[in-house]
Amino acid sequence: MAENSTLPFETGIFNASIEAWQREGKKVVGTICCHVPEEIIHAAGMLPVRIRATGCTDDSAAEVWMSSFSCSFARSCMQFFLDGRYSFLDGVVCSDGCLMAQRFFDNLNHQFKDLYQQLVVAPRLYTDEAVPFYREELERFLAGMEKLSGNKITEEKLKNSIDVYNETRRLIREFYDLRKGDAPPVSGEESLKVTLAAMSMPKEEFNRRLNGFIREVKEREPSNGRGVRLMIIGSTLDDPEYVKIIESKGGSVVTDVQCYGSRYLWEPTVPGKGDMLDSLARSYLSRPVCPRMCNLHTGIYDFIHGMARDFSVDGILYVKMKNCDLWGGESVHIEDKLKAAKIPLLTVEREEIMTNVGQLAVRAEAFIEMIEGGAGR
Amino acid sequence: MSEKKNLLKDISEQIDNIIAHATKKYPERLWMFEVQKSVWQDIYYAKERGQKVIMLGPNGPTELVYAMGAVPFVLDLVPTRLASTPDSAKYIDIAEKYVPQNMCGISKLDLGVILSGDIYDKPDALIYTTTPCDSSRVAYPAISEILGVPTYCIDTPYRKDERGFRYIAEQLRDVVALLEKVTGNKLDRDRLAEVVKLSNKSAQLLTDIADLRKNIPCPLPGRLLVLNELFGSMQGSQAMVDFLQAEYDVGKAALEKKQGVTPGEEQFRLIWLQNMLWSNVGIMDWLEKEYNAVVIMDGFGYKWSNIIEDAYDDDQVFTGLAQRCLNIPMIHGASGPAQPWIDLVDSTIRDFKINVSMFVGHVGCKHTWAAGKLIKDYVQNTFGIPTLTFDVDAIDMRYKSTDEIRGIISEYMDTLIEKKAAV
Repeated sequence: MAENSTLPFETGIFNASIEAWQREGKKVVGTICCHVPEEIIHAAGMLPVRIRATGCTDDSAAEVWMSSFSCSFARSCMQFFLDGRYSFLDGVVCSDGCLMAQRFFDNLNHQFKDLYQQLVVAPRLYTDEAVPFYREELERFLAGMEKLSGNKITEEKLKNSIDVYNETRRLIREFYDLRKGDAPPVSGEESLKVTLAAMSMPKEEFNRRLNGFIREVKEREPSNGRGVRLMIIGSTLDDPEYVKIIESKGGSVVTDVQCYGSRYLWEPTVPGKGDMLDSLARSYLSRPVCPRMCNLHTGIYDFIHGMARDFSVDGILYVKMKNCDLWGGESVHIEDKLKAAKIPLLTVEREEIMTNVGQLAVRAEAFIEMIEGGAGR
Repeated sequence: MSEKKNLLKDISEQIDNIIAHATKKYPERLWMFEVQKSVWQDIYYAKERGQKVIMLGPNGPTELVYAMGAVPFVLDLVPTRLASTPDSAKYIDIAEKYVPQNMCGISKLDLGVILSGDIYDKPDALIYTTTPCDSSRVAYPAISEILGVPTYCIDTPYRKDERGFRYIAEQLRDVVALLEKVTGNKLDRDRLAEVVKLSNKSAQLLTDIADLRKNIPCPLPGRLLVLNELFGSMQGSQAMVDFLQAEYDVGKAALEKKQGVTPGEEQFRLIWLQNMLWSNVGIMDWLEKEYNAVVIMDGFGYKWSNIIEDAYDDDQVFTGLAQRCLNIPMIHGASGPAQPWIDLVDSTIRDFKINVSMFVGHVGCKHTWAAGKLIKDYVQNTFGIPTLTFDVDAIDMRYKSTDEIRGIISEYMDTLIEKKAAV
């Protein structure tokens, strides 16, 4: 495992990069869930910031609104709004990822009436009929962003934004590739911090810093010993501390399939013949990013299996957020297949507020020992 | 693993027994059981009658299935049917080998039944939509994979507008193509028009019945709201029209006699804000007897009608069926943004002269819980009506006993009575 290092990124929810951005009089837009193409916000000259609740320690006020039967990630995000942690935002755009994200948005609508808010309806299928429907939705989204920013989004600007984001995707994949070898020079904890930074600072600056960081990491001393190579899959995980606990027990998280990690930006958007909204629609809809997509369950499994193969994974930690129906139920699509592929699997339930650290540590340790003892592939 | 059984045969036989019993004991209520016999025996005997069975998700286009001469089998009928029986536990337990305990009991029971193999004859096709909820979005694709039958998934957008209706209508034409392939029949326009007219008639009757319920005293019992939910599984059938017509006639006759359903004078008119308590429907009878309190209307919209004016105009028919996909009760109330649900509750409280609000929340329905305070605050602030809130499992009766549920409601109702007396 890599030495601890000071990462050259801004990982805080409100950080110096955002502060500098706002000092220039530019706007910041929060995004909820995976089907808000940030390229459009970027093309409008605004900064997209993915909403999260990293480090939340108390969601009691949000629980009053969303009940204890709701997803604690959605609830914690709501809590951060109630606490004023997102008061720096000029607007929020939400795609109807899961119903918990949506209810979080409904509650925002109710309580923050002065904040600009827009809903992007995303189909739950990737089909020939779904793409034009979503494309039209993106037109509305684009018009909303022009209105909020006061800037016209030209084709040239959108093309430039797609290029910038494609570069982020390329760099994130290159960064992940560093952990394919026997002695990963970066930890899973660091990796998550990097992708969180990607969501929380201007992309041009992030790309420049990640490029430099990749070069720096390549020069690092390889870590001692191979360790058990783990992959995390499942519900939202935006807390590096969680990964740190697992790695402290001897595992090395070498990759992941979750939306604050690899699934944030991975597959490039290929600009089509002039119609970039169509390209964005196809790109965002076709990604096997979340079980909300009813005809991409096989794609999700294939992606998980492919990642396990490419990163020589010894075991998978399937982390389910309590009350996350989508990833909670996805087991029925993937568990038997992973067993058939003889990939050891540990399923753990978690809440956004880390209340079960000891339990996680014990279970992760036992899982790692089990793999070390020969239960691996 | 429990012993395998032929579930459809068992249900079909149970209903025969119920009808035999009802014929002797209360023949005037036979219409309530005939509709259940119709839906279940149509499914069970379909193969014997040479008909194809098309399994559907909760807001699937039953009209198209009827028009093709096939039998619709809305899978959610199984959990709502079994919820009050010990069988529900068996299938929930089977599903929980894969999915979390906190997943919706309807989806768990759907999955468990399919995993168990207790539905002996596979359906000939599966058509489901991407609503109502996250649980169904993982359950139905899995059910499709397990069954391995031709499947069509209709994407039903989150926001309800004309563009969404057109999008669904386009997909419904693909559904026709699938049904033609599976049944070997071409769509007969005359037959479709006939089915659409039946569907219109049942939709109108549902609204007319709801109008009867606006009267004081309410002429129909709360329990019938639960039975009315068969509507979504049988739209376009003569049996649904017959059932609703009978219900309307009974209600109309009671209204003319100013006859309510409570032993004493009707005191409390309840709105039931969340799912029906399928695992304990008797609670409604008990409320009527014990407290002269009637569940007048649910909060998900079983008072709705959507009429297709010209049953021969293809555009009207497919757009109308698309609107039904998104506007059918429960889908309308619970699976989209919160505001339409709030609006629905607002009109219900006004139109039905509601004076008691209850959010007896099915634990698996997390998205309605997460909008619960928005709804309840609205009810309190607009009408000055507080809402009794507690959790139940509408499908798994092991979650909370009848006594426990009655205890919670009793405490609240007693308070209301004391308050009323004090005033």
